[in-house]
Amino acid sequence: MVVYSFYIFDRHTECVYSKLWARQDRPISGGGTSIRPISDSSATSNGAPPDLGPARARPARLSAQDDAKLIFGTIFSLRNMVRKLGGPDDSFISFRTGQYKLHYFETPTSTKFVMLTDTGTLNMRNVLHQIYVNLWVEYVVKNPICPVEHPGGEGVANEKFEMGLETFVKGFV
Amino acid sequence: MSSFYILQTSFPTADKPQLCGLVYQRDFTEGLNKLSVNDYLVLAGTFHGVHAITTRLNPLHPPNEPPSGIEVLETEHFRLQCFQTLTGTKFLLFTEPFQLNTDKIVARIYELYADYVMKNPFYSLEMPIRSEGWERRLVREMRVLNSR
Repeated sequence: MVVYSFYIFDRHTECVYSKLWARQDRPISGGGTSIRPISDSSATSNGAPPDLGPARARPARLSAQDDAKLIFGTIFSLRNMVRKLGGPDDSFISFRTGQYKLHYFETPTSTKFVMLTDTGTLNMRNVLHQIYVNLWVEYVVKNPICPVEHPGGEGVANEKFEMGLETFVKGFV
Repeated sequence: MSSFYILQTSFPTADKPQLCGLVYQRDFTEGLNKLSVNDYLVLAGTFHGVHAITTRLNPLHPPNEPPSGIEVLETEHFRLQCFQTLTGTKFLLFTEPFQLNTDKIVARIYELYADYVMKNPFYSLEMPIRSEGWERRLVREMRVLNSR
């Protein structure tokens, strides 16, 4: 199995952490694999008009910031749709397209964990739950110098969390 | 639980943007959440948008094949199988989480749709499907599945 990327969204709909594993030809400044914070709203629009061609056309590449926003929009819409159809206590676990699979986990405080993997991957909800319990709570929530909210991803990407996530994902890939 | 929707997409023209309409919706079991007609239309529109977005989130670059949107959605209570035809019509089948072979079921429904809706000379596109023959065969197909 292959893990492509991982995102955390806080309850203010902001992407506080994102990490991309698969090599991607994207205009990321610095060229590193980890981008943070990516909430810089003023610098995101690259002036290119959105390509609204037919759904089957090959779309142009998006910047990593736009990707995070689109992912949030998708999970937000799907979550609301699922609640309407399946009752208020239903929540969606994953969806799959022909190319990738998106796994979703939401904590009671509306922090959302999202992971994109290849299509053959089985249910990853427990993996996301493990990341929440063992990494997020331990290294971010319990960190005394970390702010309660994370505007712009502040305090999330500390060394321990980064390393823990890296080894954790390497461990099950 | 099993419920079924067809979303039809119109081709955009100069004076009319691309529309996505719900042309058919039917529940096959009792005790499902009842929504108003308006809610169904809103959901259909939302799904159309989300489907288009998911085609663009492809993490592979360059993509090996033209990207497809959502095919399967899994939740705690149900499973949604989406099948998109080459012309953009979407078939949504809602089943129990562990229903097997949902793609085959949808393919079978697509056959019925082609035979009893598309080949019906009195059916006009983008209109709700009201055809007794189609209805009867669809219900028969589903009854066989639900009684297993």
